[in-house]
Amino acid sequence: MPRKLKVTVDTNVCVGNAMCEHYASNTFALNDDRQSMVTNEEGNRESEILEAAENCPVSAITVIDAENGETLFP
Amino acid sequence: MVTAINDDLFSQKIVDDPYTYFSQIREDDPVHWNEKYELWLVSRYADLVWVARHPEVFSSEWWKRDPRSPYPEIDESDMGLYQYVREFFSDWFIQHDRPEHAEMRMVVHGYFNPKAMEQWRPMVQNAVQSLLDEAEERGSMDAMKDFAVPLPLLVIAQMMGMPNQDRSFIRQLAEKLLFLGRGELDRMQPLADGIKGLLDYLSPIVDERVKNPGDDLLSVLAIGEKKGIYNRQEVLANAILLLLAGHETTINLICNGTLALIQHPDQLKAFQEDPVGRAVRATEECLRFDAPVRSIQRIASEDIELNGKTIRKDERLRWFISSANRDPDVFTDPETFDISRHPNPHVAFGSGIHHCLGATLARLEGQEALKMLVERFSNLDLTVPVENLSYQPSITFRSLKSLPIAWSK
Repeated sequence: MPRKLKVTVDTNVCVGNAMCEHYASNTFALNDDRQSMVTNEEGNRESEILEAAENCPVSAITVIDAENGETLFP
Repeated sequence: MVTAINDDLFSQKIVDDPYTYFSQIREDDPVHWNEKYELWLVSRYADLVWVARHPEVFSSEWWKRDPRSPYPEIDESDMGLYQYVREFFSDWFIQHDRPEHAEMRMVVHGYFNPKAMEQWRPMVQNAVQSLLDEAEERGSMDAMKDFAVPLPLLVIAQMMGMPNQDRSFIRQLAEKLLFLGRGELDRMQPLADGIKGLLDYLSPIVDERVKNPGDDLLSVLAIGEKKGIYNRQEVLANAILLLLAGHETTINLICNGTLALIQHPDQLKAFQEDPVGRAVRATEECLRFDAPVRSIQRIASEDIELNGKTIRKDERLRWFISSANRDPDVFTDPETFDISRHPNPHVAFGSGIHHCLGATLARLEGQEALKMLVERFSNLDLTVPVENLSYQPSITFRSLKSLPIAWSK
């Protein structure tokens, strides 16, 4: 079983670059303001979600291990 | 009372001080039809963000799609050159909409992510240090020619794996490409010459990278060709884009930031008290206060209403970063230069899917250049009266022609 993740997007920072949608399309989508939102924390493999977070140009995405609270990104 | 809006965007008055001009437009007619150039001007922050985040309505493919003649007008005899220039710029990935844009951007996006860029910080610090070492004893320099130009050029040339000795040649050609935001009647010739010169220079280097790719940025593009995402012409055009965008904008950040600091001695003093601690927010404020890029163009893909105005399909529109960054609806005391401003949601890098690819690199270079400049040199000042400074007559770039400064030895 893959571990559960807590994935969040800081909308104070997100510029709607939408690259996260390309790296992990089943996890991120744009909302009505055209900023990123998390649609399904289990939508992609952990490695894909981390890749999306790493490639956010403004580092708006945080990924946490939901069970032990460890920060996986940033 | 509403005063008439001057539509001559290339007039020296508006080039030198876009801020006074746009404070009027923002108030009187925020989505303004510029009759002279048949162009919509978008000046409010909220409208800029809306337009930038609706690329399906406002297309980036304006070089390819624009049915109108170029503005300002060009020599009738240069229409052939215009076609050549137009075809060249249409290959830039930023001149594409989805889905092609995303596919093309993905090839280079990872190269510029924050983690990857951070690895370049020591190299940037060394480069800043050696430029300042060279200048220190002299006690004065042209901050443009001696500092702001060589730094980003060195960085981008190194990223692209180009020989150091080619830098001044590259800069000469790149300067011709800067005519793309200018208004001269005969601007197509230098543009075409710049494109041809850079294509001739880059072609054999790209041939080599396609055969033997390394880990440099040109190789990243060459791999994009191998994957079938770019053709050769697109590899070359986008290499030129990265080369140009990778230095011109940062030159302006460093110069405009240095000038803003010199003109606000209290802020310069505050920065000098804690250069390391204040570098990030000070750089953001420089980006907001006097942004390197003035404006960005789009073309409407359909009829659309924006802030009470109807924009028709195929009409062109330009959003003004230099206006949105001073919008009082978003920024408290927008005319005040405040290096501790936070939050600072400026749009110097645009917004939405086309948000500047090199934003992290520009920030890094700006932070290191401004930080080390104020850290090392005290009593920074201009050596000419501020009225003697002038800007390139461009509506795209906010570029000083020179910035002579001095400090206490």
